[in-house]
Amino acid sequence: MKKFLLLTVLVVAVLVVACAAPTPEKVTVKETVVVAGTPQVVEKVVTAPAPTAAPKPKVLRVNGGAFPDIIDPQKSSFVGEIAHLHLMYEGLTRFNEKLETVPGAAEKWEYNKDATQLTFTLRKSLKYSDGSLLNAMRFKFSIMRNINPKTAGEYATITNEIKGAEAWQSADLAKTSKDDLAKLEKAVDASIEALDATGKACKTGKDGYAQEDCLTLRLTFGAPAPYFHTVMGIWVAYPAKEENITAGKDIWWTSAKYHVGNGAFVLKNLEPYVRARFEPNPNYWGEKAKVAVEYSYITDSAVSYQAYKNNEFDIVGLAAEDLEATMKDATLSKQATIYPGACTFAVMFHQEKEPFTDKKVREAFAYGLDRESWVKDVLRGLGSPTLTWIPKGYPGYKEGEKRYSFDAAAAKKALSESKYGSVDKLPPITLTFSDTARNRTRNEWLQKKWKESLGVDMKLNPVDATTYTAMTKDSKTAPQTYILGWCADYPDPQNWLSVYWKTGAFSERIKYSNKELDKILVQADTTIDSKTRMELYAKAQDMLVADAAVAFAWNNVNSYMVKPWVKGIKTTPQDHWFPGDTTANTVDIDLALLPK
Amino acid sequence: MGQFLVRRLLWLIPVMFTVALITFVLMHAAPGGPWDRDPGRRQIDPATQINLNRQFGLDKEVWFDLDALKKGDLLGFFDTQFITYMIAGTVDGEWRCGFICGNLGPSYAQRGMMVQDIVLAPPEDAPIWNSKAGYSIRLGVLALLIAVLVGLPVGIIAALKQNTWIDYLSLFVATVGITIPNFVMGIFLIIIFAVWFHLIPVIPKDWSDPRYWILPAVVLGVNLMATTARLTRSSMLDVMRQDYIRTARAKGLAERVVIFGHMLKNALIPVVTILGPALVGLITGSFIIETMFAFPGWGRQYVTAISQRDYSMIMATTLVFALLIQLANISVDFVYTMLDPRIKLS
Repeated sequence: MKKFLLLTVLVVAVLVVACAAPTPEKVTVKETVVVAGTPQVVEKVVTAPAPTAAPKPKVLRVNGGAFPDIIDPQKSSFVGEIAHLHLMYEGLTRFNEKLETVPGAAEKWEYNKDATQLTFTLRKSLKYSDGSLLNAMRFKFSIMRNINPKTAGEYATITNEIKGAEAWQSADLAKTSKDDLAKLEKAVDASIEALDATGKACKTGKDGYAQEDCLTLRLTFGAPAPYFHTVMGIWVAYPAKEENITAGKDIWWTSAKYHVGNGAFVLKNLEPYVRARFEPNPNYWGEKAKVAVEYSYITDSAVSYQAYKNNEFDIVGLAAEDLEATMKDATLSKQATIYPGACTFAVMFHQEKEPFTDKKVREAFAYGLDRESWVKDVLRGLGSPTLTWIPKGYPGYKEGEKRYSFDAAAAKKALSESKYGSVDKLPPITLTFSDTARNRTRNEWLQKKWKESLGVDMKLNPVDATTYTAMTKDSKTAPQTYILGWCADYPDPQNWLSVYWKTGAFSERIKYSNKELDKILVQADTTIDSKTRMELYAKAQDMLVADAAVAFAWNNVNSYMVKPWVKGIKTTPQDHWFPGDTTANTVDIDLALLPK
Repeated sequence: MGQFLVRRLLWLIPVMFTVALITFVLMHAAPGGPWDRDPGRRQIDPATQINLNRQFGLDKEVWFDLDALKKGDLLGFFDTQFITYMIAGTVDGEWRCGFICGNLGPSYAQRGMMVQDIVLAPPEDAPIWNSKAGYSIRLGVLALLIAVLVGLPVGIIAALKQNTWIDYLSLFVATVGITIPNFVMGIFLIIIFAVWFHLIPVIPKDWSDPRYWILPAVVLGVNLMATTARLTRSSMLDVMRQDYIRTARAKGLAERVVIFGHMLKNALIPVVTILGPALVGLITGSFIIETMFAFPGWGRQYVTAISQRDYSMIMATTLVFALLIQLANISVDFVYTMLDPRIKLS
C-alpha cells in the first residue's frame, strides 16, 4: 500500500514538473569587469530581466475551425486550408471586394485575338517575405507543379486548359515510360513560358529564379479560355518556393520557415491544432497589412462563442444555435455580421432513376418545396432561398428568378401530368443523406413537407458521411434523390455552369445531359467579348432552370460575430475564415475601443 | 514473476495480430475510401486517384495476390496491403518495413506525413512530451489522479457514514458525475470558471501553464471519479461486514489501522481492476476535450480518422490502444499481488 501511495506521489511530482511553467530564460551577456586592475570582457550567464512593457501589438484573434489537413498550394482544396494559404501568398491576379479580378503579382494581362494565349506581366521588383526576388519562373514552377501527376493535387485538373496539361496530368505513372513522361512534361513546359525583357526564355534553375527581368509569363491553351486570368487568382498558382519544398520534403508545409510567400502576411508560428500566427509582410507590394492575425482551431461553436463573449476572440463563426439569443441581446446583435456566402444547395434528382426520369415529376417536387419555410424553420434564418444556380454576389447571378417557386397546386398539377398520373402510382422514393443530427432534421423536414404538398411518402436513408460521398460520386451508385451543394472556386460563371453542368462534368453523377446547353456553354467559354459571354451564360442558366434538373433550394450565408473594434472589413461571398479575409490587408483594430 | 511476465508479453503477439486482422476487415468493409471528401467540392479526378492509390500502396490486393501466385511469384502473393502494413512489402515499387519495425504507415488525410510523426513527434524545438501522444498521456494521468484522489476518499467516507447525509450527498455527486455528458460538464465549467469568475481563460494560450490543465482534466476524469467513488463505497460496504474486520476490531486495533490496513486494501481490488483499462480510455478518449479546449492530444485523430478513412491512422491508433490495454492489464495483475498477498503470479 505504501509503495502504491509512493508511486502516486511520484507520478504527481513528475506530472507537475512536466507541466510546470518554463523558468525564466538564461542568457549569456558580455560584461566589462576589472580583473586584477585590467578591464576585461567576460561572458556571464545571467537570468534575463523581465521585458519592459512594449506597445500593445494589434492582433486580430480569429477562431477559424478545424485544423487543416494540408497547407500546400498545389495540394490543398478545403476552405480552412485556403484560409491559411490566402494570407501568405498571392496569385498573378486576385479578387477585390466586388469579386472582380484585379491585378495581383501581375500588374497586367492580355489575351491574344482568339484567347488561346494569355500573357501576364509581373510587377517589377516583386519580393518574397524574406526579401528574395519573385519572378515569372516562380509562377511557372507552381503551375507546372500543379499539373505534374506526381503532385496528385485535388485541383490538378483546374489548369488543364493549358495546352498539353491534361495529357501530362492524367498520365498513369506506372504505365507511362520515363521518356514519354518527359515528352509530356516538355509539351507543358512549352505552353508555360517565362520570358525576359527581350522576349527570350528565362534562364533555368537557380539562375532563373534570380533573373530580375524575367517578368513575363505566357500561357498557351488548347482551346480559347478567356476566363483563365481569374483561375490564376486562386491558390493553385501560389508561388511556394521550389527550394523550400525540396528541403522540407513532403512535410514542408508544416513548418513556418518553409512558408516564404508573397502575400500580405507572413506565417510566424504554426502550432498544429492550437494556433497559427501571421504577421504583416513588410515586403508585400501593395497596401500593407495593419494587424497580425492569430487563428485558433476550436470546433465546438458553444465554446468559441463563450470565448468571444469573454473577449478572447475578435471574430468567431455564429452558429444557428446561438443566433436567436444573439439577436435578442441588444449589444451582441449589433456585432452579428451576416451576408451572402459562396454556395448553392439543391435537391438532386437522378435523371436515370424512376420517377425522376420524368420532367413533370421533377417539376412537381420543385414546386412542392417551400424554400422560405426551409430557411426559417430549418436553417433558422442562416441562409437565403434560391430558385437559381449562381448565388447573389457572383457574376452571372440572376435577380428575380421566380420559376418553380413554392406552389402546392402547381406541384399537384405537374404530378398529375406526369406519366404516373398520381401519387399512388409513383415508385418508392428514398431520400439519402449523410447521417448527422443536422442532416436528419433537414431530411425529416423535407419528407414531411413533400408529404403535405404532394402527398408523397418518402423513405429516409441515412448513411455514413464517407459512404455518402462515395455514393454520390458515381452515377451508378448515386441515390434517387439527395441534397448536394456546390461552392465557388473562383468568381466566374464558367466555374458555376461549365464546370458543373456540361455533359460529363459534375452533373454526370445525376446523369444530367442537355446537348443544347452544352453547345451554349462551349460558345460562352470561348467567347472573348465579355458582354456576349455573360449573355450566353445567362441563357445557359435559364435553360438549366427550365429543365428542372434539380430543385434549387438555398444559398448559404457567412455568419460571424465581430467585435466593434475590428475595422476596415470588406466582406465578399468568397471569404474563407473571417469576414473580409479576401482583402485581409484592409482589416484594422481600433485600439481606442479595446476594453481596458 | 519473470516467467509470468515473459508469457504475458508473448501473448501480446497473437492478440495484436487478431486485433489488426479484425480492424483491417472492418475498415475495408466500410464503403468509400480516403479520397472521398466533401461531396460539394471538386473531387480528385480518376487519373490522379490511380496515381495516389499507387503512392499509398492502395493499388495492391488487400489480403493475398492470387494473380502473382499464378505467375509463380510467391513474394508477390504476400505483397499485399495487410502484410505490407503489419510486416513488410512494397509501396510504389519500394520496400518498406511495417508495424513490426515501428512504422505506423502514411496518413492519407494529412498527406506527406507518417502517422508516427503526427502522433509521436513534437513540434519544432519542443520536447517529446509536447507531442500529441505526450499531451494525451499527461492529461490522461492527471485525470486519473483526480479521479482516484477524489473518488477514493469520497467512496470510503460514504461507506463509513452509510445512510447519513454525507453518504447521500456523495451518491448524488457520483450519480451526477456519471450521468452528465462531458461536453455538457465542459461548457458548464467553462461558463462558471472562465466567463463568470475569470479565473482562467476559455481558450488556454499556453499549455505550459499548469492552471489550464485543471478544467480539461476534471472534465475528462469526472466520470471515472464518480465510478471510482461508487465502486469503492460498495466494495467497502461489502468488506466492512466481513469476519476479519470484526476480528481486527476485537483485537483492539485503532480504527485508522482497521480502515486503511484491512478494509481499504481488500476493497481496492475491484477498483484497481477498472483503473488500468480506464487510464487507457482516458489517454485515447479525449476527443471531446480536445474539441472543446483546443487541446493538442491525439484523441481527435482517433475519431476523425474513421470518417476520413485514414486507414493507417485507424490501424495505428487501434493497435496502440490494444497494446496499452494489454500493458495496463499486466500492470493491474502486479498491483493485485501488492494488495493481496494470497494472489500469486504464475
